[in-house]
Amino acid sequence: MSISWLLVLLGLAVLGGAVWALFWAIDSGQYDDLEKHASAALEENREIPDSAGQTKV
Amino acid sequence: MSAAEALHARWSPDAGEHEHVVFLVEGMHCAGCARSIDKAVRALPGVLDVSVSNATARVSVQWQGHGATGLPQILGAVTGAGYRPVPLAGAAAAAEFQRERRAALKRLGLASLGMMQAMMYLSALYGVSDIDTAMAQLMRVTGMIIVTPVLFYSGAPFLAGAWRDIRHRRLGMDVPVALALLLAWLPSVVNTLLASGEVYFDSVGMFIFFLSAGRFVEMNVRHRSLSSAEALARSLPAQVTRVYEDGRREKVSATQLSAGDRFVVPKGAVVAVDAEIDPAAAEPQTSLDESLITGESAAVLRGKGERIRGGTVNLGAPLILRAVASVADSTLASIVKLLERAQATRPQIARAADRAASWFVAAILLLAAVTALAWWRVDPTHAFAAVLAVLVVTCPCALSLATPAVLAAATTRLARLGLLVTRADAIERLAWVDTVVFDKTGTLTGSAAGLLDVKLLGQMAREEALAIAAALERGSLHPLAEAFRPFDRPSMQVAAAREIDGAGIEGTIDGVRWRLGRRAFVEQRPDEARDTYMYLGDERGLAAAFEVGIPLRANARQTLEMLRGMNLDIIIASGDSESAVASAARALDIRRAHARLSPDDKIRLVEELRAGGHRVFVIGDGINDGPVLASADVSCAMGQGSAIAQSASDLLLVHDGLAMLPRAVSTAREALRVMRQNLTWALVYNIAAVPLAALGLVPPWLAALGMSLSSLGVVLNARRLARPARP
Repeated sequence: MSISWLLVLLGLAVLGGAVWALFWAIDSGQYDDLEKHASAALEENREIPDSAGQTKV
Repeated sequence: MSAAEALHARWSPDAGEHEHVVFLVEGMHCAGCARSIDKAVRALPGVLDVSVSNATARVSVQWQGHGATGLPQILGAVTGAGYRPVPLAGAAAAAEFQRERRAALKRLGLASLGMMQAMMYLSALYGVSDIDTAMAQLMRVTGMIIVTPVLFYSGAPFLAGAWRDIRHRRLGMDVPVALALLLAWLPSVVNTLLASGEVYFDSVGMFIFFLSAGRFVEMNVRHRSLSSAEALARSLPAQVTRVYEDGRREKVSATQLSAGDRFVVPKGAVVAVDAEIDPAAAEPQTSLDESLITGESAAVLRGKGERIRGGTVNLGAPLILRAVASVADSTLASIVKLLERAQATRPQIARAADRAASWFVAAILLLAAVTALAWWRVDPTHAFAAVLAVLVVTCPCALSLATPAVLAAATTRLARLGLLVTRADAIERLAWVDTVVFDKTGTLTGSAAGLLDVKLLGQMAREEALAIAAALERGSLHPLAEAFRPFDRPSMQVAAAREIDGAGIEGTIDGVRWRLGRRAFVEQRPDEARDTYMYLGDERGLAAAFEVGIPLRANARQTLEMLRGMNLDIIIASGDSESAVASAARALDIRRAHARLSPDDKIRLVEELRAGGHRVFVIGDGINDGPVLASADVSCAMGQGSAIAQSASDLLLVHDGLAMLPRAVSTAREALRVMRQNLTWALVYNIAAVPLAALGLVPPWLAALGMSLSSLGVVLNARRLARPARP
């Protein structure tokens, strides 16, 4: 029985870690524009946006 | 109020008699919200017209200037109704979009992770009787730990929306949703604490996930449609070179130009404001590309003192212009404004399911109360179970999923066909369409010029003639010069090339003076009637004639035949010349073709058709189509057109071809059929299940199963649409 408690706790910890990682990724702007980074290399006179999604011109 | 100042700075063009403003509203999700904003703003003194579109989250207000009511009062009224006004454009709107998108993604992410975990743990409780009580309790507690944050974080918009609705005494879609969530969650928590009985945590998680996914799609669609005006404004240059009286030149911001200022436009550059050609200009005529404004593909010639519009591209020598209007008063700005207004006043398609659901929930609440009362008198111990069964079994999940699930599936199928849906209700409107209006250039035809015909008039070989023509056209910016590019031979040297506007090009190749252009120019004779051919010749005579134009798309004819086979009327509305439109109409067997239409004419045509009871589908390309696309019942832009027309349209055709249009219409019609099936099924299920639940014949677990199954049935029925389309 106690092993199931441990496993459930472990499962919850992994879930918490996944949620934290997802929130971190969203907050650092990784989902802001899914197309921009792929096409940035094709555009002239434009620097590749930094991780915060801000474009320096 | 800084938002008010920002808005006013941008939107006070008609200051004086009537003032007009368009702004965005956050937190508006249904027709009910639109009505309450409308009511709140209309109550202000001096307000002449209000239009609220929940599809684009735009509010457009017209009011009497110099009165008691001003922008701060209007924004105050919107805030008082429980919504947040946001300026339409600029960095503030962009930051707002980013914030909203990130928050929505987090809610969706948490809901999907939580839903899957809760379902995994709680499936242990399903129908298995030999699970021991301690283990069952562990699963209940785990479900509660996972789903409670999902409810209060991911479900927050629904709870907040319901609270807002209740405070303002109205029944929006969020009320039944929040009620169902809380009434499924609360007894589950109670049962968990009592360590016995049913828990519905997994249903709560799944419901929140489905709802959040729907809201997320809706938000994406809204954001995309809002950036269109920005894209149009960006096509103008930010800086211009101003020329002072003493000949001094200085780079200034385009917004600083006012009527009377002189500025220079280099070859290939865009004219920033409406202007006229300086009467003291060196060249008698200059060649311009006005396709951005008129859609006319061929270059136009303008002489001294003639007016040209902002957005025009200078194809000839550097040009000195005198501004006749500022940026804000120029044609392009008015097209932007037209677009804003067209989007804000888009006709409101009745959201039958939304309204049905709010009536439905009122009825359910009443029924639950009656059930509670009746059971209280008959047998109080069964009262709670019966009321819970009524509320769970009638949760309008299936009803609220019926439409979005079908739309999502149809959107997926259209995406496979190469059609992106940029507005959620486009599919529904596409299904009703009976008239199709095509722009010509870039839609029925390609967007680049090509060679249509070559006639040899002398001894010269075809390849040789084409190579000479290509060499002569090498330096030309004329749109039709593109047609010769594939035949260019770099080894062929051209000397002393000269472009004579409106006539042609001449240049020396291997000691021979060649001319390419109108026949009179090539033969150096007095002017004569024009024909559609371009001639190539030297001093000895003509060598060849080329017909150059924009060819029809390969599949245009079959596509139009298929559309006609689906009982759709087809009309061409083009800004191009009569001859170009007539030849395309002849080739495509179209009887109604309108040429030389300005953007206003096109809107008028669409509005006349709509006033005549037709439902109009407009397919276009080019900035000049932006407003007409927005005024149609449903619109589609070709993927290679300018960004503006794309974002103003409901559908975006990414493949370079029209062949998918008939299939898009049939998909939309099928989607409408499935939507009706789903709504019928959801209603029938609810109507059948309610009496059984009220009589206490449905235990809560069966109610939960029924709720899930009816939702599942609706979703599966919708998924049929997402299968690959039959050929």
